[in-house]
Amino acid sequence: MNKLLLSVLCLLAVFAAAVPCFADTVNGVLAEERIVNLPQDQGKWYVSVVGNATDSRYNEIVGWFDTNASLKKLKNQVHFCPVTSDTAIYQARYASNVKVLPTVRMQKADGTVVYEAAGKNIPMTAAGLNGALAGAANTAQGIRPVLPWRKDMERRCPGPCPNPQPQPQPDPAPQPIDDNGPPNVEPEPQTDLPPWGVAVICLAGVLIGIASGYGRQLYGKLHPTVK
Amino acid sequence: MRRILFALVLLVPVAGCEVGENFGPSAVKKEWPTVNLPAVLRQSNWRGPQGQGSCVHASMISLFRWQYRLRTADHWRQTYGDGEQPEDLAAKFNQEGIRYAYVTNGDVRFLEWACRTRRGCGITVMGGAHMVALVHLDDKWAAILDNNNVEKFIWVPRETLIAEWKASYGWAVTPIYTPAAPLPQ
Repeated sequence: MNKLLLSVLCLLAVFAAAVPCFADTVNGVLAEERIVNLPQDQGKWYVSVVGNATDSRYNEIVGWFDTNASLKKLKNQVHFCPVTSDTAIYQARYASNVKVLPTVRMQKADGTVVYEAAGKNIPMTAAGLNGALAGAANTAQGIRPVLPWRKDMERRCPGPCPNPQPQPQPDPAPQPIDDNGPPNVEPEPQTDLPPWGVAVICLAGVLIGIASGYGRQLYGKLHPTVK
Repeated sequence: MRRILFALVLLVPVAGCEVGENFGPSAVKKEWPTVNLPAVLRQSNWRGPQGQGSCVHASMISLFRWQYRLRTADHWRQTYGDGEQPEDLAAKFNQEGIRYAYVTNGDVRFLEWACRTRRGCGITVMGGAHMVALVHLDDKWAAILDNNNVEKFIWVPRETLIAEWKASYGWAVTPIYTPAAPLPQ
């Protein structure tokens, strides 16, 4: 009987010791009985797309971040801020530092502007904008981009253009909660010459070289130099 | 002598390359307070249908606006009011599908997290009778935005603020969305 009581007491002691360990987590906070993991996303960068809500160009660019796979991936890695010029937050925090609408701006967590393009300087296509953002992000992080021909790329043809329709401005969809730091923006794969194409060009070069050599000799025979 | 002069002439532009570069954290001005809520986004307190103050809701609405939830902020202002308890507010957030986090145990790490991630949070003061928005917390200073006077931020020593909060049931709560982008540097 004593042994039974002793074992029960031991079990209770183990539980008593274990409960505070669960409650006092390093990155968690006790909220009633739930432990909520708070996002440690203070290092995340910001991408703001600023424009007029009725401007088709602005809506097109915002739409790219849902339709283009690379930009969609980027959107989930940063704090994505679509801001329309009819809002108080635009007047308070963008109007004084945005010259032309629409504007696309990428910032580090401390506010340093890594990339900014406005109006006609914004690339024409989603892939172009992704490339520009990727280049700027890599430069800011001191990363040398991997050359496209060294990557195992899939061939891509341009598909039909997205045609987003202007819509009322609801709150943006909540982004996934994570602890991302600077984004890892990869440039879109580009189509370039296949290996056999390079071989054909080399062969053509060799043939042209040989032919021009013979041509020069023949010309020399037909037109002897007068000394 | 000429060789020495020539070498010096060559060295001058090389040495000059190191002067005037100012990269690194010191070149970046940090925004003060961290949650630099513009005046137009600040929600003043109001009397709810039962005649009570709505300080909790006012604080949440200001934070919703800072975190780009403008529609949610408008909806909240039109739908809710009066005094609030942690459990009741959590139930409302759950019902509305709001992403949020809160503590009621005075865990300072929550305040540090909220300000570090630039989201801010509502905190109880005055023995739990009032809620204000915590908009800054660093090693020395804290700043709050009181919804009874949204004209200015109130700066207090960090320890003073924490002592006040812990003596007021230590309730802190915030929505978890994208904070406003920092001003361009």
